[in-house]
Amino acid sequence: MSNPITTLVAVLIFPGLSFILTYALWCQWVSRKAAARLQNRQGPLHTGWQGTLQPLADFIKLLVNEDITPAAADKPVFNYSPIAVFALPLAATFLIPIQSLTSLWGWEPIVSFEGDLILVLFLMSVVILAVFLGGWSSGSLFGAVGATRAALMMLAYEIPLSLVAIGPAILAGSLQISEIVDWQVASVNAFLRAPSIQGLAVVGVLFIGVVIYVICLLAELELRPFDISEAETEIVHGWQVEYSGKKLALLNAGHDVKMVLAAALVTSLFLGGPAGPILPPFVWFILKTTFCVLVLTNLSVLFARLRIDQMVSGAWKYLVPLAVLQVMAVVALSGVI
Amino acid sequence: MSEREFVIPIGPQHPALKEPESFLFTVDGEVVVDVEARIGYNHRGIEKAMESRNYIQNLYITERVCGICSNAHQTAYTGSVEEAGGIEIPERAKYIRVFIQELERLHSHLLWVGVAAHEIGFDTMFYYVWRDRELVMDLLEEISGNRVNYAMPTVGGVRRDLNKDNFTRYHKILDTIAERTNYYIKVASTEKTILERAVGVGYLGKEDMIRLSGCGPNARSSGVPCDIRKISPYLIYDEIPFEHIYVDNGDVLGQVLVRVLETLESVKICKWVLDNIPDGEIAVKFNPMQRLPEGEAAYIVEAQRGELIHYTISDGKNMPYRHKIRAPTMANIPSLIERLKGGYIADIPITLAGIDPCFSCTDRMVFYDEGKDKTWTWTEGELSKYRKEWYSK
Amino acid sequence: MAMERELLKNAFSKPCTLIYPFEKLEPPEGLRGKHEYDAEKCIGCGLCARVCPSFAITLKGGPGPKCTGLLVDLGKCLFCGQCEEVCPRDAIWLTTEYELAVINKADGILDFERTPPPPKTPPKKEE
Repeated sequence: MSNPITTLVAVLIFPGLSFILTYALWCQWVSRKAAARLQNRQGPLHTGWQGTLQPLADFIKLLVNEDITPAAADKPVFNYSPIAVFALPLAATFLIPIQSLTSLWGWEPIVSFEGDLILVLFLMSVVILAVFLGGWSSGSLFGAVGATRAALMMLAYEIPLSLVAIGPAILAGSLQISEIVDWQVASVNAFLRAPSIQGLAVVGVLFIGVVIYVICLLAELELRPFDISEAETEIVHGWQVEYSGKKLALLNAGHDVKMVLAAALVTSLFLGGPAGPILPPFVWFILKTTFCVLVLTNLSVLFARLRIDQMVSGAWKYLVPLAVLQVMAVVALSGVI
Repeated sequence: MSEREFVIPIGPQHPALKEPESFLFTVDGEVVVDVEARIGYNHRGIEKAMESRNYIQNLYITERVCGICSNAHQTAYTGSVEEAGGIEIPERAKYIRVFIQELERLHSHLLWVGVAAHEIGFDTMFYYVWRDRELVMDLLEEISGNRVNYAMPTVGGVRRDLNKDNFTRYHKILDTIAERTNYYIKVASTEKTILERAVGVGYLGKEDMIRLSGCGPNARSSGVPCDIRKISPYLIYDEIPFEHIYVDNGDVLGQVLVRVLETLESVKICKWVLDNIPDGEIAVKFNPMQRLPEGEAAYIVEAQRGELIHYTISDGKNMPYRHKIRAPTMANIPSLIERLKGGYIADIPITLAGIDPCFSCTDRMVFYDEGKDKTWTWTEGELSKYRKEWYSK
Repeated sequence: MAMERELLKNAFSKPCTLIYPFEKLEPPEGLRGKHEYDAEKCIGCGLCARVCPSFAITLKGGPGPKCTGLLVDLGKCLFCGQCEEVCPRDAIWLTTEYELAVINKADGILDFERTPPPPKTPPKKEE
């Protein structure tokens, strides 16, 4: 990005802040409408066409609500945690390749350097720290229980998540997300020209990786069956219980941006990023991430909520060994190819 | 209370409770160590209101004790008044009363399945079960004129008749409900996330249940055969062929099994009533200003949640002298407290929902001593202390 | 996983929600809704007021032939239908109208008028 005008437009408008925020609202609408249709009901309906403006309406409504800080809360931490929960995933989306502003068929991300996959994973983990601080500083019993549960959940899913994300990086020989996408495009083209057993084996191993990755993402995004830290019927909204008004609006927006980031990561690491025939890259990006959001919503609607001890023991008994085996298989295959 | 324990209040306002109650949980980490229950938030002065209205007006007061078991209360009330006054009701009225009672049991158990699914976070099943429950509600609206508070039984019989032309349609609706209930049984028994949250949760054995005087499906899930319809039948229940449902599981899965199997039995009973209902009058004439002879009577009914007792004392006027209602949830609270101890916080909502609590029926705990002109409310601790003193005399 | 087939089947069929107030359910015949009054048949006996569990009906102008109508307070009414059942002349009954929400409490009181019949004069004695 040499031209400062191009950089400014990229950061602020497209594919930066405005695009990500609008797209986050769109993803929330897709998720809500799909969940509603799966449950045989209407979903958002009256605001805008089929309710597409409903997430925006909810956001604006929360902005004008009264913002109460409990007297027993630790005020600086309580006030600044929502900012961290909102800003960190947003920063991570700058590293995902979506669309280049200089050429119609290119897809350089706004910032890109060797090892930015590690930075993205790190930013996603730091969000949990902000969640924990936000719940603990709220001064409420339910907030403390929710914050503890969020921290416990992190112990369960962080390791398989990171292990499986490294798989494509090993195969591509680089920790830079745009390089991984380029490698995927090149290998798919090579496979289509000359199919081989190793290619099928790679696809199979990566498929197992995607399954594990999606399960860990359900835990990261606090969706059922892993919405334990915000269980409505048990601890009344968990770590978010004392937030209201503008802070809650930021938290909800942060949740939507996290969902965009999660879908974008699955797309870039496993589904070939914004690459695809005929259409420009950002259209492919939108199609593939919407598909990921639909899959996540379907899984979320399908299950009941698990208990925290069941989730942690299940993750360590099944997910971690499977993730380790998957990485070992990837290493073996990358040596063979 | 040790250093590691802290107290979590659940209630009176909490998303896990459909009606206000106060439970104070002493917890150690995620494990519940002790529970203290405080009831009385829904007290409305019903029994006092009934003393200044005539028997026909009281029909509608008893109906509104609870929204879900309203017909059970009316059946028990009319039964006790008719027994105290020596009034015999026609056969057709008995059949219609049983029909409406079983339809209400259907809607209540389906409601419970939905609410239990919601408590474990399975909102999808909640929505689907309540969608199918709408079939029952529409049927009841067509028969009685209202979706809740049907006001079908009256003193002397029933108020509205069933039209024979609709019976094939009612059979079809009942068959649909049986088919959907079988589907939900299949889902509940194969869905791993439900089984994880229900098996072994809130266990109570048979001896403990008898000692703590549980009743209804709560007790039948621990193996105690206590269905009033079988052990001391009323209306025409001694003629109807149906199973006495009780299982040995003792946990939340047992509660689920008892209630869904009872739903299937209720469908069977409704279909039997539609096929065998005799013709005849639907009510004996009862004037609202009519006086009841002096006397007293108690009438026990198997409500959706257990054993419901209405006791009425008449002193010769057209208003009752005293009417006492003992709701089943009152008897189920001691066993509820025992189930909660030793479990996790995450299991509190499903265990609470498991006994199908109806606190609207329960809160009648204000004591008024006429002689000493004293009023007082009791917590559970004071009540058990009083009981020990009374029985040690 | 158990409900997946059901979910996908319902995702592509019409939702079961009715978009009220654009789509409405047809209420069944026997629905207990708003009261209707026939002034011709009413004799002012006051049985409806005496049997109402929530004392929602009051007679205007006193009981008997000089009654000038009824006041029915829909805010207190239980919609039990006992007034309809006890009336000896079928002068009051419940219709199927159920959309009875009002903003002003005073609008929720139904005011039914009745012109009392003129008092009977004894026939003039022929001289």
